[in-house]
Amino acid sequence: MKKLASTIVFIFMATLLIGCSSDSSATKENKFPEKDITLIVPKAPGGGTDLTARGLAEYAKKQIDQNIVVVNKPSGNGVTGMVEGSKAKKDGYTLTMTTVELAMLPHMNRSPVDYKDFSPIVAPIADPASIMVPADAPYNTLEEFLEHAKKNPGKLKVGNSGVGTIFHLASVAVEDKTGVKFTHVPYNEGSAPAVAALVGGHLDAVSVAPGIAKAQIDAGKIKVLAIMSDEKLPLFPEVPTFKELGYDITIRAWAALNAPADTPDEIMDSLNEIFSKTSKDPEFKKFLEKQGIQPVEIEGEELKNMIEEDHNYYGELLKDMKL
Amino acid sequence: MIENLMAAFSNVFSFTSITVIFLGVLVGIIIGALPGLTTTMGVALLFPLTFNLEGITGILMLLGIYCGAGYGGSISSILLNTPGNPGAVVTGLDGYPMAQKGEADRALAISTYSSGVGGMFSALVLIFLAPLLATVALQFGPPEFFALAIFGLSIITSISGKSILKGLIGGAIGLFIATIGLDSITGMTRFTFDTMYLMGGVSFIPILIGLFAFSQVLMTVEEGVGENVEKIKVKIQRVLPTKEDIKKTNYPIFQGSLIGSIIGAIPGTGGDIAAFLSYNQTKKSSKEPEKFGKGAPEGIAAPEAANNSVTGGAMVPLLTLGIPGDTVTAIILGALMVQGLQPGPLLFTEHPDQIYGIYTGFILANIFMIILGFLFIRPFTKVLNIPKPILTPIILVLCVVGSFSMNNDIIDVYIMVAAGFIGYFLLKLDFPISPIIIALVLGPMLESNFRRSLVMSQGDYSIFMMRPISAGLILLTVLTLFGPILWNRFKKRESHA
Repeated sequence: MKKLASTIVFIFMATLLIGCSSDSSATKENKFPEKDITLIVPKAPGGGTDLTARGLAEYAKKQIDQNIVVVNKPSGNGVTGMVEGSKAKKDGYTLTMTTVELAMLPHMNRSPVDYKDFSPIVAPIADPASIMVPADAPYNTLEEFLEHAKKNPGKLKVGNSGVGTIFHLASVAVEDKTGVKFTHVPYNEGSAPAVAALVGGHLDAVSVAPGIAKAQIDAGKIKVLAIMSDEKLPLFPEVPTFKELGYDITIRAWAALNAPADTPDEIMDSLNEIFSKTSKDPEFKKFLEKQGIQPVEIEGEELKNMIEEDHNYYGELLKDMKL
Repeated sequence: MIENLMAAFSNVFSFTSITVIFLGVLVGIIIGALPGLTTTMGVALLFPLTFNLEGITGILMLLGIYCGAGYGGSISSILLNTPGNPGAVVTGLDGYPMAQKGEADRALAISTYSSGVGGMFSALVLIFLAPLLATVALQFGPPEFFALAIFGLSIITSISGKSILKGLIGGAIGLFIATIGLDSITGMTRFTFDTMYLMGGVSFIPILIGLFAFSQVLMTVEEGVGENVEKIKVKIQRVLPTKEDIKKTNYPIFQGSLIGSIIGAIPGTGGDIAAFLSYNQTKKSSKEPEKFGKGAPEGIAAPEAANNSVTGGAMVPLLTLGIPGDTVTAIILGALMVQGLQPGPLLFTEHPDQIYGIYTGFILANIFMIILGFLFIRPFTKVLNIPKPILTPIILVLCVVGSFSMNNDIIDVYIMVAAGFIGYFLLKLDFPISPIIIALVLGPMLESNFRRSLVMSQGDYSIFMMRPISAGLILLTVLTLFGPILWNRFKKRESHA
């Protein structure tokens, strides 16, 4: 009996160990990729970044024969995942879905890596922040809202998705550029609870991305006053941008697919080709649109510039916020 | 109406739909039973599959996982005292002692039955009361959430066993661990010692696994060094609950289902809080509270009914308002939108057939859950017949894999081992472990809503008493905590006079 017992345990353990080891005997062929690609998502499963990454992995299967395995590494607010991704082998088999936090956390001394540790491939989403208010609020335009805020300094309760997050920066940027003063109410559980609180009448406005509130906007419970993108969003064609109204504010929550910095050019070329095609795939775009996400396909130099710009701008904003 | 129902039936009662609901429930039960695998992980993993399934079929699969996972957590809690999810912590308080008495089959039967009834109850609430419940749920702002968390914490007094003091110390430990990480209002780092890992706070699942499962492993190793430990003889006598048990648990199940449906409808709460509240209320209103913690059937039924009725409740704000209450419903929302179904008031007028399809599928998932649950009782109970020298290393491996898989981070495994050693000493010192977990679950909700309320009121504490729901909940907490003490005093004085 004892012998049988220890045999069973041994087999069980051995199977698990085999399961843990990875296949290293990939055959030599010139076509990249010749084995599965790991995609590190530094966010918990189920959020916008995670779903976009999973969608990208799913639709990339059309371009390649291998699988893309999504691994969530959310600990330490995602920093551990990004650190691991930046330090991965430069062979293109470990990619990271970095988020806009990569341009923010280094300024708060919370991340040892920044954009220079990565080579960007493509950003399928760059969700702009917005100012949303309840449908029955007395103001219908951004101007009226700001006027109301100026008359009542510190009185308007503006919800965001947590202290030091991109949408918190969004409402701070509005204060910075327009001279109003809000009371910031951070919802560190994320954007959805902030939107729920807005619908429930507990807040005066929220500064999160409009996509998450698409259902409430369509149902006429919430109105979007203005968005913080460079151009109007096709999803919300009537809503003006801050730039059109004369305020130079661009705040976007992007997620960009990255390889580690200094990945060899020929591998970068293959990766760029695979994911550029995927992000342009109409089916993938439809998938994002249906979730209230405006698909974009920022790649190459444009993507590099966007990340660098954001890195510098958030550095300035955060210096003033003293977080 | 009839037309839509017929359309819904023909949608749901197709071979594909029934198969995917069945598979969803099965996957859900397994995920639920394994600590470290969460419902969110399961649903997120299978989410891409829904693209390829037509209409609501894929959504029904996700609903199946949601239903199954809520129930699955109780299985490991009852058999091994290793809760598969936080809600099952309180199920184990009575389920594990009952299983230790050799009545594992009875405990599992009660848990299966009450989970099923809870799920069905919430389905009915969803169908008939959704709009009404949604308006109530939206009344919950920061002060209400704070009051709810306080009310939830009051359960510590009823699960502390022999010493309330030790329970309160455990609660304080849990609240302390919950403060590690970034301050939710100012963004300051607290107790992080400049490590990246601790900035995100200590992961909750490794602590749960460590305190419950790994500490048990250590105990078993200590008991069994060099000798064959006597094992519990389990004879499976029945799979279905007895008439007596059903009669006894009628009221606790009703109360639990009601609590679960309401809690589920409030965005940002979940099965764990519902289970705590339900257990607490059942024990407080019981005529024989002294039997709780030693294998009372009501103690299993109440949290399980609540835990599972949360699923239907959570669908209320999702379908009527398009507001997801937790990460699982957020993914289901995404899946609905991929299919071109936009939840909200318009969904009911534009796609009534799909809504009826979701209702029908949801009820079917609960039926499958009951069937699978009863079928599994026999094989699962046999787990207890496995000799400890074999079972213990398997649990050990599951502890490591479970805590690693949460964040794919080895630090979580170290946290689990550390929590395990702490748990071992706490067990030796006769400390109840559940209060730590309960405080750890409710701590972040308590703190951020307390401070968020004060941000909103600009530091005015009266905000908690000026709003009817929050004032009501706080008064209720004070009454349940001090009512019995005052009542006893009053009676004593009367008898003296």
